[in-house]
Amino acid sequence: MADTPIPLEVRNIKKRFGNTEVLKGLSLEARKGDVITLIGASGSGKSTFLRCMNLLEQPNEGELIVHGEQIRFKETKHGREPADWNQVVQMRAKLSMVFQSFNLWAHMTLLENVIEAPVHVLKKPRKEAIQHARALLERVGLAERADYYPAQLSGGQQQRGAIARALAMDPEVMLFDEPTSALDPELVGDVLKVMRDLAEEGRTMIVVTHEMAFARDVSSQVIYLHQGQVEEAGPPDEVLGNPRSERLKQFLAPKR
Amino acid sequence: MESVLASLEAMLADNSIFTLDTLSYYGEGLTTTVQLVFLSLIVGLVAAVPLSIGRGSKRRWIKMPIFFYTYVFRGTPLLVQLYLIYYGVVFVEGIQDTWLWVLLEKPFFPALVAFSLNTAAYTTEIFHGAIKATPRGEIEAARAYGMRYSLMMRRIVLPSAFRRALPAYGNEVIFMLHASAIASVVTIMDLTGAARFVYARFYAPFDAFLFVAAIYLCLTFAILYLFRYLEKRLLAHLKPASG
Repeated sequence: MADTPIPLEVRNIKKRFGNTEVLKGLSLEARKGDVITLIGASGSGKSTFLRCMNLLEQPNEGELIVHGEQIRFKETKHGREPADWNQVVQMRAKLSMVFQSFNLWAHMTLLENVIEAPVHVLKKPRKEAIQHARALLERVGLAERADYYPAQLSGGQQQRGAIARALAMDPEVMLFDEPTSALDPELVGDVLKVMRDLAEEGRTMIVVTHEMAFARDVSSQVIYLHQGQVEEAGPPDEVLGNPRSERLKQFLAPKR
Repeated sequence: MESVLASLEAMLADNSIFTLDTLSYYGEGLTTTVQLVFLSLIVGLVAAVPLSIGRGSKRRWIKMPIFFYTYVFRGTPLLVQLYLIYYGVVFVEGIQDTWLWVLLEKPFFPALVAFSLNTAAYTTEIFHGAIKATPRGEIEAARAYGMRYSLMMRRIVLPSAFRRALPAYGNEVIFMLHASAIASVVTIMDLTGAARFVYARFYAPFDAFLFVAAIYLCLTFAILYLFRYLEKRLLAHLKPASG
């Protein structure tokens, strides 16, 4: 295990918005093939935590180590900032994110969306990127929709397209920010199925979700957050099957 | 060519106002108007792209001068701007000795400068608004996928903003065409200048000005058609599938 670096390590992340501390020192270690689900009530900080991992939010304190490389920070008068944006850009290319509201680029077709970052960020040859993209779209069941614009697709199709876009980066870790929360109930299943497949093939994933069945069946670790702190963490059987804290019991109760 | 001219002459035989002579004035006026409007739109468009990006900058010393510029040029009449540049340029110390004077001496160039500055200001604001309206999520996705600011601007923000700005920019083009009529007050023989000339010569306001109005209508129609075509092609992505 020492020879391959850990894909993502996060230590003691703290984040304040104004005077409110929303993350009170959170740590996490995603080893290869781990599927870590973050659960918690809204406002518990789970999405903010996820967004700190690729620095869409700047944590006020804490360390971030991606594939063995420590992200460097510097103090400025505006607060803490990354010392080297080149390093951040490279780091982000290793962690691809799937958003709650898909965030596909509306002026590009689905295929263009999928090849955009591989071609322009990773500098992959266009032809190769297109081939890879077609295979990925096939995989998420959207081969026939490659030339459609996002607005012409259903929410579930858009989200599966967004997952193809994430996969096209060959990421070390995939970050999912409530990927099924904006979907109609009948469309959730298709997206979850794709995510289950990814977990089975050994992708390293960190998933913020309200889908308890997914958390129970798929994840290697469940972290329950409450007000910016880890209330309970562990394998799903323990955390979801046999919750110790009163809060987690309440949180789980209406969902069963 | 000669037979065309002959048949045209025959057609105009009973007409005392619209002779080949006056029609050639309108023809020259049309050329001047189209040149003036087209060139100022090109200059304005090229200037507006960097200006609109700067207009949205976080740095005050970039943002404020651009805002001041667009505010002044949108906040004062185009005619006043034209007068200032056309009459004012003579008073610039020593300008008559430089090569610039060859251009500035004729009224065409000061008018081109005034129109370009004016349309650049409006276009800057149109683009700025469109850039600001870029969906936040799309910007976030660009950042999350490792794009730097310049790449994100070039690949995501600007292509999406220009498409969004298209209908408003089409209006600006039509506005510019009609505003160009004031070029005639600084002795430029544009379309309106030609109409004024014909009016003065024959004292026939309806013939002279209705004819020029018809030409403007035709030009406007062409612009509308062009932008409808562009919108259909470039804004296809905003339409949901119809089955």
